[in-house]
Amino acid sequence: MLSALLLIPLLGALLLLIWPGEPSVGRCRALALSLLGLQLLMTLAVLLRFDPAISGPQLLEVAPWVGSLGLEYRLGVDGLSLPLVLINGLLSFVAVAVTASDTSRPRLYHALLLLISAAVNGAFLAQNTLLFFLFYELELIPLWLLIAIWGGSNRAYAATKFLIFTAVSGMLILGAFFGLALASGSADFSFNPRLANDLDLGVQLLLLGALLVGFGIKIPLVPFHTWLPDAHTEASTPVSVLLAGVLLKLGTYGLLRFCLGLFPAAWELLAPWLASWAALSVLFGSLAAIQQQDMKRMVAYSSVGHMGYVLLAAAAATPVSLQGALFQMISHGLISALLFLLVGVVYSATGSRDMSVLRGLLNPQRGLPLTGSLMVVGVMASAGIPGMAGFVAEFLVFRGSLVAFPLQTLLCMVGSGLTAVYFLLLVNRAFFGRLDTPLAASRQLLPAIPLARQIPALALTVAILAIGLLPQGLGTLMERSTAALSATTLGAPPQLIASARQEQG
Amino acid sequence: MSAALPLPVQLAWLIPIYGFCGVGLSLPWACGWFRLSGPRPAAYLNILVTLLAFLHGSLLMLIVLRDGSYSLSHDWFQTADLQLQLSFELSSTSLASLELVTGLSLLAQVFALGYLDKEWSLARFYGLVGFFEGAMAGVVLSSSLFLTYFLLEMLTLSTYLLVGFWYGQPLVVTAARDAFLTKRVGDVLLLMGVVALSAWAGVMSFEDLYRWVPTADLTPLAGNLLGLGLIAGPLGKCAQFPMHLWLDEAMEGPNPASILRNSVVVTCGALVLLRLMPILQLSPLSLAVLVALGSITAVGGSLVAIAQVDIKRTLSYTTSAYMGLVFVAIALQLPAIALLLLFAHAVAKALLFMSVGSVIATTNCQDLSELGGMGSRMPATTLAFLVGAAGSTALLPLGCFWAFALNVEALGQSAPALAAIVLVTNTLTLVNLTRVYRLVFLGAPQPKTRRTPEANWSMAVPMVALSVLVLVTPWIMARIDPVPGLASFSPQVLAWLILSSVLGLVIGSRIPLHKAWSRPILPLWRVLQDLLAFDLYTDRIYRVTVVALVARLAWWVDWFDRRVVDGLVNRLGRLSLASAEGMRLGVSGQMQTYVLTGVVAIVLLLTSLSWVVR
Amino acid sequence: MNQPNSSGVDPGQVLRERLLGGVTLLEESSEHLLEVVAVLESYGHVLDAYSLNLVHQAQREFLNPLPVFRFFNGAITPARLWRHLRHDRINYEYAEYCQRSMLWHGTGGLDTYLDGEAFLASCERVIQQRCRHDPLLALLQRLFPGFLPEQIRSAATASALAQFWRVMSDLFLDLAAARRSGEVSSIAMVVRFIQDGLVAAAAAPITYAVELGGTSFEILPPEAGLTFLVDVAVPYVEAVFLRGTPFLGTVSFNAQARQIPHDQSQFTYGALYADPLPTMGAGIPPSLLMQDMRRHLPPELERHYAGVGRGLGDLYVKLCTSFQKAMFCVTNAAIAGTFPHPLSTRDPGERESNGAYAAAWVERLRIARIDCLPAGESLVSQPIPDERIQPGASGRLG
Repeated sequence: MLSALLLIPLLGALLLLIWPGEPSVGRCRALALSLLGLQLLMTLAVLLRFDPAISGPQLLEVAPWVGSLGLEYRLGVDGLSLPLVLINGLLSFVAVAVTASDTSRPRLYHALLLLISAAVNGAFLAQNTLLFFLFYELELIPLWLLIAIWGGSNRAYAATKFLIFTAVSGMLILGAFFGLALASGSADFSFNPRLANDLDLGVQLLLLGALLVGFGIKIPLVPFHTWLPDAHTEASTPVSVLLAGVLLKLGTYGLLRFCLGLFPAAWELLAPWLASWAALSVLFGSLAAIQQQDMKRMVAYSSVGHMGYVLLAAAAATPVSLQGALFQMISHGLISALLFLLVGVVYSATGSRDMSVLRGLLNPQRGLPLTGSLMVVGVMASAGIPGMAGFVAEFLVFRGSLVAFPLQTLLCMVGSGLTAVYFLLLVNRAFFGRLDTPLAASRQLLPAIPLARQIPALALTVAILAIGLLPQGLGTLMERSTAALSATTLGAPPQLIASARQEQG
Repeated sequence: MSAALPLPVQLAWLIPIYGFCGVGLSLPWACGWFRLSGPRPAAYLNILVTLLAFLHGSLLMLIVLRDGSYSLSHDWFQTADLQLQLSFELSSTSLASLELVTGLSLLAQVFALGYLDKEWSLARFYGLVGFFEGAMAGVVLSSSLFLTYFLLEMLTLSTYLLVGFWYGQPLVVTAARDAFLTKRVGDVLLLMGVVALSAWAGVMSFEDLYRWVPTADLTPLAGNLLGLGLIAGPLGKCAQFPMHLWLDEAMEGPNPASILRNSVVVTCGALVLLRLMPILQLSPLSLAVLVALGSITAVGGSLVAIAQVDIKRTLSYTTSAYMGLVFVAIALQLPAIALLLLFAHAVAKALLFMSVGSVIATTNCQDLSELGGMGSRMPATTLAFLVGAAGSTALLPLGCFWAFALNVEALGQSAPALAAIVLVTNTLTLVNLTRVYRLVFLGAPQPKTRRTPEANWSMAVPMVALSVLVLVTPWIMARIDPVPGLASFSPQVLAWLILSSVLGLVIGSRIPLHKAWSRPILPLWRVLQDLLAFDLYTDRIYRVTVVALVARLAWWVDWFDRRVVDGLVNRLGRLSLASAEGMRLGVSGQMQTYVLTGVVAIVLLLTSLSWVVR
Repeated sequence: MNQPNSSGVDPGQVLRERLLGGVTLLEESSEHLLEVVAVLESYGHVLDAYSLNLVHQAQREFLNPLPVFRFFNGAITPARLWRHLRHDRINYEYAEYCQRSMLWHGTGGLDTYLDGEAFLASCERVIQQRCRHDPLLALLQRLFPGFLPEQIRSAATASALAQFWRVMSDLFLDLAAARRSGEVSSIAMVVRFIQDGLVAAAAAPITYAVELGGTSFEILPPEAGLTFLVDVAVPYVEAVFLRGTPFLGTVSFNAQARQIPHDQSQFTYGALYADPLPTMGAGIPPSLLMQDMRRHLPPELERHYAGVGRGLGDLYVKLCTSFQKAMFCVTNAAIAGTFPHPLSTRDPGERESNGAYAAAWVERLRIARIDCLPAGESLVSQPIPDERIQPGASGRLG
């Protein structure tokens, strides 16, 4: 069943590549959409069969693979990966749905999107480190191609930068995985926290450090983030949606699953530093976002800021904070996807993302009123207004981390306040006021956006509101796994013990 | 268990929902789904649901007066040691506040039918008011700090959207931004407090928190920080110094929303503070800060109000001033007096704002120096202003008279300085309202007030209705009963109160009035007037402090990001990775190059993999 | 707009030459002709409704303290009530808005009369009659002596405006008929047609009487000598076309911001100045009128709009622009009809006074929305509603 989540898009990609003739964009999109729809249905079927009472991996699928290495093809799903698989299913579908109808080389384009979807699912479902790594790398090439071929004017630079950063990330991760295997003397690549436990702390720290930098690039954390704004600005909208919504989550997933999950002792030692790193990342990302003129860069920097919360939550590693981390991954996935969709609509309609020239897009007759209204919702969700997904995530992260790292948590909350600053600038500048666009100078009108094109954005808005208003369902799904993960921090940090004692008393 | 509850009580959770429903009901019209018919059905539907909320509240009030309080709780989210509930308390106090909120909302919405009669975005306006009202109804009923915070933030959002209603107008845009950000600063600080309480106490309902407070084991620093965080939210909501500027700017918004903002929204903020009061015992510092800021706002706000030439702004500053008095009362543990003051102020201020709205609608003018002589032609408006002014000061035995008297009585012994502040605020407010009355309603008509027929009926009816309500406030206040009875103050207090009122009246009717953009000639007066008229230049102080700091930091971070971080990356890339050049070439080449490069990369990685394994 | 345009010609100079040369302000084009006549036709229908309602209000809702059903013209049926609740109706609020701004700006003969002894005397009679039956009103009158006279002034303005609109409505509908019959086939003829209509009605008397308790009270008696053109049309143009009132959606009322001039004669918020772009946005009152005209849009014009810009998506902005063009024609006709001397005069003194008259108008019109006057240019919408991939991104590869 889980393999189907990989195989359906994979087969789709193959089918598209060998499809005879030169199919139109519409036909490619229809094929990709139907397959991704099927994948989404399968994901929902997995959701139905998923038992939230089990903390470990379930619905396992095992097959021998490279026997000589002791490797096996082993898929499973737990509370950590299921929500991410769900959001991957949703956002892949959305990304294909918003593909431009004049995309060149549609076969390859859609095949690559499908490939990414398959690889991401594979990475989330993989139950040993090498399999994870394989999928982690597999997603890289299509994404690179998507930026390099269909990107903006500066795509060569952005794509190369992306490739180099992510390749370094991959090598560090691979190095750490092998290092762990070598040092522990077992060719066991399964997720086993006991492997590292017996190692010398110095070795542990070294391996954890490599993983942290590796995943830190992917998340991305300051100062390894500079590929992200460039990649986003050059990528087309569907790619940005996937990149922000799903691919960054591979980094945070790795952070939880491997950094925290495999090296609990070293993690505990580094935790205060990590929390400070998180605060730095949050503040840096937020402040940099304030200064941006390009809407897409602003949203990209907001991602840098918001992904920092996940590191904070992971550093604290309490059950509540880890729930918060997962909620943040989901909510950030939905919200940033929504924001990128809307920025994409603005860009396609006006030919600009520059906030110093766009004005008054809320104009009911000649502007983009629905886009503007959804933008207000998206921005408010990102700023953590209650009733929307972002608030639940932030509240859980802060609540779970405060006792362990009070100062860092408070600084992160300041970052949450700064989100309001820059996103308000965006809405006020581009959407309020009298309508004015670069097109107006040439007496051109903005095109009207048909309602059908806004359906993906509307769907994401509904999802954001649904999670924000009724978070319990999602919470239950993840609760056991996050609790188990929290428990792996074998000797919990002293602050935690203190807090636990306080709560009992 | 819940089966035993009467049906209206079981359904009490619906009360905030009514307002939020209004949003959904307005959507079809706000989105323009109807081509040929207008947006008014959204207005009618919102008025209807508000009426429903009001009636449901009244029914609950009857039940609660008969059976005593109820509390309701619904699980919202729980994980590990965190339990979040949406809990409501139905007591006579909370229901009285609810009736105040829904009742004033109802009147303001009817008023808006007239005030915004030529507004096409009516559906959006009513949807937002519904949202506003839903959040406020929730706040007054909430018995959990979490839910309160949840709804307060929603209130912040709806303030932003309501102030930004006329989003095409440049000053509205900045006003909406400032309102949101100021409140947001307060909210983030409050969130820090809420999160800290949730982590330390592990509970979120007010009752549980009150029980936790005596057992709390906090360092003085933690306690004080907690207290300051908790009061920051209400300080922002109630536009207290130094977070008061947004209320001035928010006057760019539609007047019916200003009616609500100056009466019930600030009341909600103060009610939250009232709820937090027992928790603030952990932090003597925060109580001292409350007293200090409240006093500064009361006196400063009243003075600034006198220097305003804008009719809405002059009233909005008195709102801040009154909230300052309420904050002082709360800080000094006088909850009953604070409640009375809030109630009396809310109805009177709403009435004043209605009257002012009618003036603006008739004259297209908010400039006091351009108004005049409208008194004899606009009975409902004039009476509304007079009644509202009387109700919000201690001149006649209406609402605020009794609240002030009790307040002075309570403070007279323990803190005579604070009692003096109450009296001074009363005097200054009377000076101001007398001044405004003379400028608007007396004197010779000016060009813009030469032709001023009375406002249309849907503005006049709410004004008259609310005037009657203000006139009967003392009776209602006696019914909801302050601790020792409404008239339990000494003759000295009465004398002081009358003295302060008469003084205000006399000064107000004697001070020279300036007409038509004129300015005083004496340099000292000029400086003083400017200082007050521009609100002690607070916005400029902000600009050179907080705003400049954030902007500077942002600039610096951006510079660092581009020059140092990215610059380093680029240099590294250029130096060490010749392949980058190759790839750059590759991009302009054939498709095959991409695949080839990609395949090479994978092969390289796999080789390294097998090498490592071996 | 008051800057010289790109060709270096001062727009004011152009306007002046056109006025004095008897050339229409609005350039000739078939598109303009269609827009102007069709918009005036729908406007004619709307004015008809407005006029009927204002007559009803002035006559039947006179001094009614709770005119809840004032938009029903006296016929309250369940079906009409339902339509009213659905807001499936003409926005009479706009008519009241025009009436209020006419009263408030208070220019011309009607306004002068409303301050006169004769008017106050007739007010006194009406008030005595009403107070006799209504002690509450009598008390109110004692306390607020200005209240009832001001209400009567308001009603008188409503009645005068209704009479003005009656003439204009008929004129605009006749114009549409004349175009259909081929009688009118150019902008110049449109202006001429309107000018003739105005001249014909110029001296028509404006009167107002209400019936209370069986007696008729003359509030604007024929003896007052109020006439159509000078006492109502000119103040109307002043109050609605030129001055207008500031829109909450574009101008700050903040007294400290001082965005609204102290002197009402400096106001430039009227129909000829208003920005059509934010139409149907928040705080833009003419949206009501646009909606009313939309409901009576001739199919021909709707077809035309469907083909330009965003089609029906930005219809209201186009409607507003067309309306502005039409109002320029009406203003043009009014100016042409009120020149002190015939334009063909050869007398230098007369030419000079004509020139001064034109200059006075140009001074006001040069900052109006004269960018709608040239023929030809219509806005184009971008053809591609999809995301545009960067040019060249894939061309070389494909």
